[in-house]
Amino acid sequence: MNAFDYRAPRAVDEALAILGEYGEDAKVIAGGTALVTMMRQHLVRPGCLVSLRAVQGLDRIEATNGALRLGALVTHREAEVSPLVRERLPVLAETFRRVASVRIRHMATIGGALAHADPNQDPPVTLMALGARVEIWGARGRRELPLEEFFRDYYESALEPGELVTAVTVPVGPPRSGATYVKFLPRTADDYATVAVAATVTLEPDGERCREARIALGSVGVTPLRGRTAEALLAGERLRESLLRAAGEAAKGEVDPLSDHRGSAAYKREMTAVMVGRALAQAWESAQRTARATG
Amino acid sequence: MIFTQACVILVERERLWDLLMDVPTVGRCVPGIEAIEAVEERAYKGRLGVRIGPIRLSLAGTMAIEEQDRTAWRARIRADATDRRLGGGIRARMTLTLTPAEAGTRLHIETDLTVLGKIGEFGQPIIQKTADALLEEFVRNLQSALGA
Repeated sequence: MNAFDYRAPRAVDEALAILGEYGEDAKVIAGGTALVTMMRQHLVRPGCLVSLRAVQGLDRIEATNGALRLGALVTHREAEVSPLVRERLPVLAETFRRVASVRIRHMATIGGALAHADPNQDPPVTLMALGARVEIWGARGRRELPLEEFFRDYYESALEPGELVTAVTVPVGPPRSGATYVKFLPRTADDYATVAVAATVTLEPDGERCREARIALGSVGVTPLRGRTAEALLAGERLRESLLRAAGEAAKGEVDPLSDHRGSAAYKREMTAVMVGRALAQAWESAQRTARATG
Repeated sequence: MIFTQACVILVERERLWDLLMDVPTVGRCVPGIEAIEAVEERAYKGRLGVRIGPIRLSLAGTMAIEEQDRTAWRARIRADATDRRLGGGIRARMTLTLTPAEAGTRLHIETDLTVLGKIGEFGQPIIQKTADALLEEFVRNLQSALGA
């Protein structure tokens, strides 16, 4: 690893000032699970590491009107076991549980996972399906982006040099809704997904027909993606096998997977259809259960 | 890995061929080229900057035209470059073929690319997409260099 300056600001303002001082030569570090690996491989050689560990106030999980706000320094493990997340957004807690190993989950932070913009990660997929928004602070103040606009390319986000992810806000699902995260893992349990799908389904008051569905796809493109064509097929429909197949087929047309040691692009495309069908069925059934339980 | 790419450039075959074989000139159309100069007949050295996500590669190396067949409209090019800082590099063998298109000339490129070292582990899945993006910009630059 190269020699670098190390700064540990105690507030967001102070962190932003340091980032401004070093410009593109600075890298923000929190859990370090991604960055340190890249530094050890000499893939990145920052002149300065700006650690967020001592920054106050970024490690909270809060309920705000109709949503949960998770600070950037909340670790994957904290999100996984948080009673608030488990109660309001069980699918999100479950998604964090599926990330790598427990040791990594104790270190990796939510803000870090977003800023890293690795298209193979689990949480961004579920966060996208849930309609999450990223809160970003920079020298010019605060801005917020939906995840669809945050991820730009392979390991590239909309973060400008000098900007920080400070939180992610996730709407709590409406009544009569269900959500699921399906991770296709043909190798080991702690691996990245070969294909990952998060789906949400909200039902009409009849508790049967779909009002709105959202589908997000991971590991099948240079960023996490929305399956909008597949979503459009579902509104107003009742759950049936042929509909799930049609949605799966539609999703195939929306992905653009990369071939790697987890599978060829063609294989991942085929598995996308299968996993979209499964995810929708699970989300739909969960929504029906919720609808019945709440009358 | 071997991959093929094709594009159409709106210019007649002879003119495109002459431009492509004029390496210092065509080199200026390659996105990210930072330097290119002739070291001997049909052999060149240069430096190319490529960005893959958070990683910036600065590839320095050589390029040679190994075969130049104007009757078959085919050329074979070899390029070897390393990034000394990151410790890795690329080895490319390319075959360029020109065929007439409905309008202009079709450039067909077959590339056998080996990415060495850590760059390979990180970049392998994205190589084809990076190459496609480079070609697209190259064609735009070429087209404007040809004034077509």
